[in-house]
Amino acid sequence: MLDAHALETALQSLRRYPLRTALALVGMAIGVAAVLVTVAIGTGAQSAIRNQLRAAGLNIIQVKAGNYRTKGDGGGGVLAPHAFLLWLDGWLAPTAHAHPENDPMEKHDHPTAADRLGDSKAGLGGAATLTQADADAIETLPGVANVAPGVHENIRAYAGERRWFTRFHGTDVDLPLIRRAHGIAHGRFFSQRELRRAEQVAVLGSVVRDKLFGEGADPVGETLTLWNQAFRIVGVTESTNWMTPGTVGDKAFDAVYVPFTTIHRLLNVTNLNTITVTTESAGEVSNIAKAISKLLRVRHAIPDTAPEDFTVTTQASEVLAKGLHPNVARVLVGNLPNLDRTTLQELSMTLERAARTMKALLAAIAAVSLVVGGIGITNIMLLSVTERTREIGLRMSVGARARDVGAQFFAEALTLALTGGLLGIVLGVLVSWALESSLGWTMELSLGGIALGFAVAMVIGLLSGVFPARRASALDPIQALRYE
Amino acid sequence: MIRTEELTKTYALGEVSVEALRGVSVEIEAGELVAVVGASGSGKSTLMHILGCLDRPTNGKYFLSGKDVSELSSDEQARIRNKQIGFVFQSFNLLPRTPAVENVELPLLYNAEQLTRSERRDRALAALDSVGLSERAAHHPSQLSGGQQQRVAIARALMNDPSLLLADEPTGNLDTKTSVDIMTTLHALNEKQGLTIIIITHERVIAEYASRIIELSDGLITEDRPIEATTAPLAGV
Repeated sequence: MLDAHALETALQSLRRYPLRTALALVGMAIGVAAVLVTVAIGTGAQSAIRNQLRAAGLNIIQVKAGNYRTKGDGGGGVLAPHAFLLWLDGWLAPTAHAHPENDPMEKHDHPTAADRLGDSKAGLGGAATLTQADADAIETLPGVANVAPGVHENIRAYAGERRWFTRFHGTDVDLPLIRRAHGIAHGRFFSQRELRRAEQVAVLGSVVRDKLFGEGADPVGETLTLWNQAFRIVGVTESTNWMTPGTVGDKAFDAVYVPFTTIHRLLNVTNLNTITVTTESAGEVSNIAKAISKLLRVRHAIPDTAPEDFTVTTQASEVLAKGLHPNVARVLVGNLPNLDRTTLQELSMTLERAARTMKALLAAIAAVSLVVGGIGITNIMLLSVTERTREIGLRMSVGARARDVGAQFFAEALTLALTGGLLGIVLGVLVSWALESSLGWTMELSLGGIALGFAVAMVIGLLSGVFPARRASALDPIQALRYE
Repeated sequence: MIRTEELTKTYALGEVSVEALRGVSVEIEAGELVAVVGASGSGKSTLMHILGCLDRPTNGKYFLSGKDVSELSSDEQARIRNKQIGFVFQSFNLLPRTPAVENVELPLLYNAEQLTRSERRDRALAALDSVGLSERAAHHPSQLSGGQQQRVAIARALMNDPSLLLADEPTGNLDTKTSVDIMTTLHALNEKQGLTIIIITHERVIAEYASRIIELSDGLITEDRPIEATTAPLAGV
């Protein structure tokens, strides 16, 4: 139907009426740009919410070795010391926390675990019951995004004359993916290769960097001494959120990160203190946490009647306990074991639903503006057919067939729609970019959104071209020639 | 060249039907310059539309170059209009806001030969040159006088080397002096290139340029006579 001549003729005609052509193009471009921008705003809002939930750790499940709960002490137990809280207490009073007795240096600057706790059962909790194989098994569960094995110690870190008592995390290369709030200020996180070879490399939390090397310094390439061993500093991690900078005592940035394999090698152990798991969506956390419990019970061959030798905690309960006095937090979390399921999960789902609704609403408004743009083109083309009736008659008199005339008007409409669509994409990208950089909105331009806008422009071009084209080609040459 | 047999054309206007042509039989030889005259409503425009393959007769036959074209499909008619017939209209019918040369190119766009852009341009410029307007090729119709516009229209009509030129009141919108120019141009085309030309007019003086006058009245031919003197009849006006 469309050949080169129809297109050429169409372009000639469009050039002949520049104002009309420009108006039609602007209408179309604004329509397509509106679709693009609104979809970008909607998608951006959705992923912003998702990212905030992730940054808050709502999709994180922590599996810890040991279980301090006693038999028969159910979820309703008021004063049961929840494993998480003991762990939390550990962070709040770091000196009470011990590194294992099989330190290669055999130099203990603290009482042993049993002495410290004065409880022979502590051995169960202190026992690192988790293994790399457990972590691998968890990774195969559906809905699990990342799995990071962890070994945690407190340690004195030395750099030259300076020293700093801090947390020492043996972890996996996936950690930056799990902790969204972790940004890399200098250098890099340690690599898969360094992990595999258990190299003595370290990534400093920003607080440790500040204490050992000075505020804002770049210590990459310097040496850090831990357990009398030299570690090469490869990077510095800091908070990506200016509202929650690293502070002294916080376990994320007042810390040193090394490959967990390195600790395994140095301590000559194979067990893990923690396995950190992220889920693909915050809404699945409780189900996956349950699945992990079930999996580990089977793997550790624990009968139904016996307590678990591990603890599965979701970050949600941790968020709740944050800022509370340990005793209050203990009571709160102890009494509300399912709190994450009932509130935080619902909150995350509600937020996602709201974002989806907003996106749909915006897209609907944009679609209306596109339809208006399309009707504009149809209108202009119909007007054109009427105004140019004599032209059509003339073209027919010099040998244009009905289909040639139809093709010309169709090509004009299609050209308007496609050019307008392309302009709209450019405009939409520019506007999205401007909104993002000036107002700081999260805009997510997807290829899908662009393709959608362009496809809609195509369809509107086709539809808005067919009707005027049919009308033009149906004209009788004599009537058309005589038309005044 | 042209032969019609008992052409009739009936238009239905609501309940009433109007007989525009009531049996026109005429033969026109190649190389003739024929004037068709008659009062308005006599059927001369209808006859021209049928001869120009813009319309079909209700009854009767029309042979163009020996071929019956009265029953052709509209696409086939379009092809004949493109290849064999050139039209010149009273109101010029040039595309507005379009340079003269692009107006002249127009029939080539619908040519089955699919010429390249430069071929079309070259032929259009040559045609404009032949009507003495090569210097106005880039001018839009609004920048040309009536006579110049009509000469552009003539150049356009000649683009595909038609065997028949149909002119419907070609001087109707022009002053006397320009009319003489146009008629002289048409006359020369007939004389030098042997182009068959049919001019529809209601002005007797214009008809005097022809070698033959056919008069229509109420859809019938009432007079058909040759003219001897073809020297510029308007010269003395």
